[in-house]
Amino acid sequence: MNEQKPNMFIPALIGGGIAGFLSGVPLVNCLCCLWIIGGAILAAYLLQRDSKTPLTSGDGAIVGALSGIIAAVVDAIVSIPFQALSNDIFRKMMDWAAEYADDIPEGWEKWLEQGNMDMTLPWIFLGFLITAVIFASLGALGGIIGVSVIKKPAKPGQEVIDVSEKDSGDRKS
Amino acid sequence: MTEKKTIIVIYIFSLLGILAWLGAILLAPYFKSQSIPESRLLYGVFSRICHQAPSRCFYLFGFPLAVCTRCLGIYLGFLSGIVFFPFIKGFKMAAVPPSWLFIFLTFPIAVDTGGNFLSLWSSPDWLRFVFGLIWGSILPFYFVVGLSDFFTHLQKKKKRV
Repeated sequence: MNEQKPNMFIPALIGGGIAGFLSGVPLVNCLCCLWIIGGAILAAYLLQRDSKTPLTSGDGAIVGALSGIIAAVVDAIVSIPFQALSNDIFRKMMDWAAEYADDIPEGWEKWLEQGNMDMTLPWIFLGFLITAVIFASLGALGGIIGVSVIKKPAKPGQEVIDVSEKDSGDRKS
Repeated sequence: MTEKKTIIVIYIFSLLGILAWLGAILLAPYFKSQSIPESRLLYGVFSRICHQAPSRCFYLFGFPLAVCTRCLGIYLGFLSGIVFFPFIKGFKMAAVPPSWLFIFLTFPIAVDTGGNFLSLWSSPDWLRFVFGLIWGSILPFYFVVGLSDFFTHLQKKKKRV
């Protein structure tokens, strides 16, 4: 008997929301991509907890990717008030890096004055798209890890559809 | 598409993806050294997932790489895991690594990251790189297997319909 799997949106929303918020806040976001993977693992855990049947790696990939996309949206929103602060921090970092550069490229000072990226609408949209793709990929990875590490054992008599078994080579392809 | 073909396709895309990813990381300082404006785009892309602190980056052509040493270690570890994947798993659908192995390989980077984040200590760059390399090496065995599992299920659902 195949039991209906729970809605993935709420776990993805929680995991992605937390990951996106932490990714957008300066200083806290220094943990790089680990927030996104961590958020996806959380989403996978919440989904696994609500599910009556053990989940497959594919389910983890879906909820993880979804949490990654949500994290990208939340990150974009959270980053807005911190953008000015981030630009200042970035500029200081580049000034610091410039001290160690042997040759300062032409236009360096002009580039610093302009900031790290042109903030026109097409660039903002492109930046969001790229972020969403990256976060979705990291999220898928985190979801797969989450489902695999936090496994729910199958109840007796419960059908488990899971192709990630060692003896899968015996089945017809 | 057979399961084997699915996993081969996922594997190839993953391999090409990580090569392109690492290529972009290395291209950023080169572009910057040549005053090519696209370097800003490259640094900007990676700024979403890495703090890019110059003091925590390796340098190339006189400029910091697009990611820090820890992130670089993770991505190079991912590449090494992808390269060894066919020799360890082959191209048949197999189980993901056991949980204890994941926890064992995650422990060093987790402790190191936590300690640095809480300012308990400050690890040297080479150590961050090594811990990243160790953790990154196991990730392909989840990524490739998990995505192959997803697409295999998708194909089976379509066949039933």
